Amino acid sequence: MGALELRQVRHRYDGRLVLDLPSFAVPDGGKVAIVGHNGSGKSTLLRLLALLERPTEGQVLLDGVVANVQSRRRVTLVEQRPVMLPGTVRDNLAYGLAARGSRGTEVTRAVGATAERHGLSPLLDRGRHELSEGEIQRVAVARALALKPDVLLLDEPTSSADRAAAQSLFSALQSELDERRMTVCLASHQLEDAYRWADDIRALAEGRLSPVTPENLFRVDVPPGPGDVTKRVRVGPLEIAVMTERSGPAILAVPAEDVLVSSTPVVSSARNVFTGKLTRITQHRGAVHVTADMGIELVAAVTPEAVRELGLAPGATVVFAFKAAAVRVF
Amino acid sequence: MDFLADGIRRALALLFSGDAEVFSTALVSFKVAIFATFFACALGIPTGFALATRRFWGRRVALTVVNTALAFPTVVVGLVIYGLLSRRGPLGGLGWLYTWQGIVVADVVLALPIAAALSAAAVQGVDPRVRRTALTLGASSWRANLTVAREARFALVAVVTAAFGQVVAEVGAALIVGGNVRHETRTLTTAVALATAQGDFGFALALGFVLLTVALLVNIALQALQGRGDRGRA
Repeated sequence: MGALELRQVRHRYDGRLVLDLPSFAVPDGGKVAIVGHNGSGKSTLLRLLALLERPTEGQVLLDGVVANVQSRRRVTLVEQRPVMLPGTVRDNLAYGLAARGSRGTEVTRAVGATAERHGLSPLLDRGRHELSEGEIQRVAVARALALKPDVLLLDEPTSSADRAAAQSLFSALQSELDERRMTVCLASHQLEDAYRWADDIRALAEGRLSPVTPENLFRVDVPPGPGDVTKRVRVGPLEIAVMTERSGPAILAVPAEDVLVSSTPVVSSARNVFTGKLTRITQHRGAVHVTADMGIELVAAVTPEAVRELGLAPGATVVFAFKAAAVRVF
Repeated sequence: MDFLADGIRRALALLFSGDAEVFSTALVSFKVAIFATFFACALGIPTGFALATRRFWGRRVALTVVNTALAFPTVVVGLVIYGLLSRRGPLGGLGWLYTWQGIVVADVVLALPIAAALSAAAVQGVDPRVRRTALTLGASSWRANLTVAREARFALVAVVTAAFGQVVAEVGAALIVGGNVRHETRTLTTAVALATAQGDFGFALALGFVLLTVALLVNIALQALQGRGDRGRA
């Protein structure tokens, strides 16, 4: 078992609200990804879930029971840019096992097995100054998995990894999941990782859950004015037409499903029409995400048939169009 | 200038002849310094950890008090401890006035803010991820603190050095609380003050040399400790 839940959680630093989550649950055995910009509150959320910080308001529950300090031993967090504790890789792999009361040969055996499994055997006697950032990240993940936690929390686990290292990390996680039940919650600003690996994706923006899919989220400053008039909001070099009563700092979201893709401009009611270069095409469970550089990066979700018929390929010129009413501001 | 040269000659003669008076005074000083440094660090370092790692109501006030206490005038502390330990004082029953234990109490009060403030700064200098990592790997709060202490070991050795320096060089409180009783509470610093007042410059200088030597040896020992830690895997 390892179901985590936040209820009516509001968290503040020096009086500033950084997280506002009326409800947030990670089901037992779930593979949840939290995506969002830097500063959106992902790391804070993971620290609350890891029971390393107590929320200013609200509760954290583990398997339906209000979590306490003892519950911390069932949840392990691998931080973004993890640190090595004093000592060698061997000492680090042994740290949590010893803290949990394992002794002597039991620890030695577990450390050996973990090192073998994660390809860390050649590094066992190295100190932290003899490791690269990527190696430290691998050690940190192995150090957490050695404890066989019920819940594993990973904060930007591929931030210092190249594609091969990221692939190897996800393979290691998957092989662990094939052997035993474990809840995994991963925070990332890389949507590709989230889509490829998680079975549930939540978007976080300014400490709140986004009501729409996580692509095309931007921090903006909305000009004042009534909600029934189209406003033009600056996002990088673009001006995006929106219909909103809000003004001031906000998050602007363009649902990828609402973006119409064409190879040439078409006459339509869409108030937002941008032309740019297609940068990549990625598969996401049936849908295809087409990413284009319009001065900012925009993503459109289309069908595989549309990609074929339009002859979409990286480098091609594409036109994205979407209605002002489709743009969400929150 | 002659009196200075005479003083140095007399000092060397006293030191190399193994003068009983000099060594008795040095022994009292060393005993007081060791005990006071131990108790000041035993209380001050955990206080510094709490101030650095825990968020509690009144923490800022506590930090301000500790930092203000760094500048406590030693004679004022001596007077307060004198009042507490005197026969009519609340701690008079201990019978510690004019004893080396009384000087230890005064020195602990003076060195404790140094140990607390400097160790708080040392712990605050450790990457907060170290403590979080220890906790998320299942360490108890105590074990996590030990891990942080290991990370801050060089700075913590400096804390002990600073506390020892305060205690071994202290004169005002030791004079008031200890009374400068020969072979009992006469420390190197109070003996230097007395000998200088009596015009025995050579004896005062000899004691000064011993004081410097003690301070030097302790610092060499602590630096050797740091060096050994440095050679190990960090």
